[in-house]
Amino acid sequence: MDKTDKKVAVFACSGIGKPLGSVAREIGYELTERVRPDTTVLTCLALLVINDPDARKLITENPVIAIDGCVLDCAKKSLEANGAKSVKAYQSIDFFKKHSHLKPEGIAELNEAGKELAALAADELAGVVDELLAEEAKNV
Amino acid sequence: MSDKPRKVGIISCSGEAIPGGTISRVACRKVLDELRPGKSVTICLPLFIAGGEEERMFADLFPTITVDGCEKRCAALGTERLSGQPTKTLIVTEILKERGIPPTTRLRNLGPEEKAAVQVVAEEIAAAIDEILATE
Amino acid sequence: MPEFLETTHDKFIFKVKTGYLYTEDDYWVDIQGAIATVGVTDYLQKSGGDVAFVEPVAQGKSVKRGEELGEIETIKVTLNLISPVTGRIIEVNRELEAHPELINSDPYGAGWICRIELADPLGTKEGLLQAEAYMEIMKVKIEREAG
Repeated sequence: MDKTDKKVAVFACSGIGKPLGSVAREIGYELTERVRPDTTVLTCLALLVINDPDARKLITENPVIAIDGCVLDCAKKSLEANGAKSVKAYQSIDFFKKHSHLKPEGIAELNEAGKELAALAADELAGVVDELLAEEAKNV
Repeated sequence: MSDKPRKVGIISCSGEAIPGGTISRVACRKVLDELRPGKSVTICLPLFIAGGEEERMFADLFPTITVDGCEKRCAALGTERLSGQPTKTLIVTEILKERGIPPTTRLRNLGPEEKAAVQVVAEEIAAAIDEILATE
Repeated sequence: MPEFLETTHDKFIFKVKTGYLYTEDDYWVDIQGAIATVGVTDYLQKSGGDVAFVEPVAQGKSVKRGEELGEIETIKVTLNLISPVTGRIIEVNRELEAHPELINSDPYGAGWICRIELADPLGTKEGLLQAEAYMEIMKVKIEREAG
């Protein structure tokens, strides 16, 4: 099977005003620490504000997953404004719609329902990571 | 001018990939929720950057404190670029160093060391708010 | 006349659309002839949180003012929608099925909930608040919530 050295760059909005922002952040951690630790890298969204050269290189040379909390799509907008190569964008609220019995609460500390929601979301995104890298491998 | 009590906007970097980003985020929420509830407002950095009307308006009209997780100072530089110089800039790694506290290591699921670091940083932010409001 | 009246609390800007009528429990009504378009105010959508699901009552149903008009589920709460007018529902906003977030992003426009053929158009207007009057009620609620 074709392989690539690339990784999927993961960015989360981490919005501080709503639990959905904390869910987005937690999804980022679940995806990059538990679900696909070897093929993803979590990077600070705020680095794009200061035109950090490593962050820019990462997003222009690797596939990107943006995880926003809500429909305001702040992470997606920042990534696209900074020339991200290809952005697959997701919103915590859409995962909530699929699992609406898991009501996230808390911002500084997410409740168990929020953490469980994030874990389920990360499991769903595993396939997206694999597809993105398979696409990269084809282009090698 | 309004005679309402003044408030201070707190802008956390919330950097996801560094322990200081998590400390910054949790400390800012602690200040908002517990230490200075009527005197502070959090400004969501991603929304601020993306052009959020309310975030930008508040930062233009009210004093701001930026709280960065590391020396890259994304929140401070972002605020400067979009709104003007913050009234006060804080860096988690510097605060901990000054207090002789070792840098934290966890990004999430905070342990006792991280919670202690959060308390120290939150108190620093609260003191900065008090200083700003005393002079406004 | 500006399109919106505005009041600010902390960083939040609360808007009330001019030219609409309102109820004390945060619904807006736009009456054109015998047809009322109904929705929730900016204040209600902000307090309620991000909308995930909207379930209006069925098209064709008759409702009285104060009766249930459907349900909104947000991240925080499930809200029973209460009809601000009396009449028959002639149209529901189907866009809200796929895009419930319209209630948050455009509560006075694309986030409308349903259209009702009024039983008593003239009488209906008399029971509703002008934008300025609703603004004052809303300000009290905002201050009270702030503690």
